[in-house]
Amino acid sequence: MNCIALLGQPNSGKSTVFNQLTGSRQHVGNWPGKTVEKKDGVYSYKNTKYTLVDLPGSYGLSGNSDEEIITEKFIKGGEADLVCVMVDASQLERSMYMLADFAAMNVPAILILNMMDVATGQGKKINAKLLSERLGIPVLPFTAADGKGYDELKALIEKELKKPHKLITAPDITVKEGYEDSEKMLLDGNEKYIWISKILEGVTKASVTEYKLSRFDKLILKPFWGKVVTIGIILVGFLAAMLIMSPFMGVASMLPKALGAPISNFLTGLHVHPWLVSVFSMLIPNTLYFCISMASFVFGVNVVFGFLEEIGFLARTAYQFDGALSKLGLQGKAVAPILMGMGCTIGGASGTRVMDGWGQKMLAMMVVWAVPCASIWSIIPVISGMFFPAWGTALVCIGIIAYIFVLMFIVSKVFGSKLVPEESRAGMIMELPPYHKAHWKYIIKDSWIKCFDMFKRALRTVTLVSILFWGLSFSPSGNVESSLLYKIGTFIEPVTKFFGMGWRTFVAFISAAFAKEAVLGTLNAVFAGQSNVADVAFNAGTGSVDKMALSAIMTQTISGAEALAFMFACTFSVPCLMALSTTYKESHSLKWTVKTAGFYIIAALVLSCIVYHIALPFLG
Amino acid sequence: MKLSEMRASTHGTVKSLWRDERFLSRITSIGLTEGADFQVVKNDRKMPVLVYVRETLLALNRKDCEKIEVMEVQG
Repeated sequence: MNCIALLGQPNSGKSTVFNQLTGSRQHVGNWPGKTVEKKDGVYSYKNTKYTLVDLPGSYGLSGNSDEEIITEKFIKGGEADLVCVMVDASQLERSMYMLADFAAMNVPAILILNMMDVATGQGKKINAKLLSERLGIPVLPFTAADGKGYDELKALIEKELKKPHKLITAPDITVKEGYEDSEKMLLDGNEKYIWISKILEGVTKASVTEYKLSRFDKLILKPFWGKVVTIGIILVGFLAAMLIMSPFMGVASMLPKALGAPISNFLTGLHVHPWLVSVFSMLIPNTLYFCISMASFVFGVNVVFGFLEEIGFLARTAYQFDGALSKLGLQGKAVAPILMGMGCTIGGASGTRVMDGWGQKMLAMMVVWAVPCASIWSIIPVISGMFFPAWGTALVCIGIIAYIFVLMFIVSKVFGSKLVPEESRAGMIMELPPYHKAHWKYIIKDSWIKCFDMFKRALRTVTLVSILFWGLSFSPSGNVESSLLYKIGTFIEPVTKFFGMGWRTFVAFISAAFAKEAVLGTLNAVFAGQSNVADVAFNAGTGSVDKMALSAIMTQTISGAEALAFMFACTFSVPCLMALSTTYKESHSLKWTVKTAGFYIIAALVLSCIVYHIALPFLG
Repeated sequence: MKLSEMRASTHGTVKSLWRDERFLSRITSIGLTEGADFQVVKNDRKMPVLVYVRETLLALNRKDCEKIEVMEVQG
């Protein structure tokens, strides 16, 4: 099969082309021996199949990061039959740098002038024909995100594979004797830009020499008010995300009821064992509901953030928060995943792929875990309200928000120097792209791919875990006390008591690590004993919980101090099973995924212990 | 003077860059080379510096800007 490689700087639209061409026929893995992600996919054109490789994002090919070394080796190794070099037509001179770096490689190539819509909007004219003559390779003006022009691209690739072209010119990078490495790099850099200006002479004209910030930018980039407006826009974004996902959630929430009774009746009629009836009528519909609601969360958050990214807003946010984030060993770019994490940790974890390099990405993921997602905020006020007056609940919320920053700081102190060593810490160097219109079709398609992928993974993982949980908590009599879970729970209670949680809250704490939505249901099951723990554990709905009754039993059974310790432990433990799975998928490192989960569980228990013992004299 | 010390709306030329390979490779690939002309678009205290260079608006971390020696020129 012919192998096509995509090469370009971040923001050149490389992944857009990759996603549009391959759709869902993608495979994501690792480059051998490295934590760098390898993305390849397949597309067909005129009954011929082509492999497409998305080369790891880098700004150049000078071999200064794992990504750059891999990319350079791959191209030099001649594994690709054709390299598609992508540049941003709206910032041609600068983005041609990648081509200048690539020029020495002497392999067949084409040049894709992406974002022609933006360039045209800026009044830029580019003479693609002249550019092609000078370079000796075909040049294709393109707008990757609007979904058009792909047939032309495929046809060009087909043609070039038959009769390939190589660059006929390259920057004059001759061996410079007697210079230090950094000096050579500097001189080579200059040569590359000289080459670029020669190539571009007469091809395009630099449009403006004086840059003026737009009125919106003047507001959004203000040190204080800019941050306020930015946060306001993000909050509106979350509301929009909820609106987007509510229809899916609504339909999914009807599944357990709609499927439960008919399946149960049908199977009972067949004299199937009640145990199996319960699996098919309760567990499976609930798991399905749970997975759909999670996937719709991911969909909503991705649509909104995809939009904010595409119009150029997120880059401004990175500018705003670079200072704060560099204190954590991160940089401005980490702000988008952290903000996404406020909606959904899964979205936040996958959003860390914008980071430069694996270490920063892993650290950003660990920091994202510290951000309580939207689901947590739907349970904390309920539980707190059972034990404390309104002002007390407000205090609990403030305490939780304050601890987010403490935890982020602890994470960065514990893991920062390992993941992003001091000497390799790179400050933010990023472009603020011009604002442009969003390509909705692409945003929705891309979010759909992510959401579907998430759904598939959730179905696998959640089914497995819920069967396990279900088995542990199955009780033939319907009473919690005859379940295995109760036996284990009460057995280890002396230990959990030390951390401030009795066996009931501890079981709910464990279920919170699977899904935050499960917490109220689990509490109901272990305290009221009315339903099976497993039946509720993965039931994202809390509607069936009688909060008044639960409140009465809970306040009788446990102390305010234990409730408080439990709330903190729940909030800052492993966010959920799928966040864990996504962290593994994104980091490609089992070791670090386990480390992250281990750290969060231990940190949550220690936190619970501290909170409990401090609160005991007051709330005992 | 350092890039971080330049006022907004002034123009300048890069005089010299800090000799560190990682830094050089990043900063070169994004368009800042010795001799490059640029405009400082915004420079607020404790915020990254906004620089317009080679038709691109860049946000540069403040600390990194201290590694860039520049010369002001009359725009």
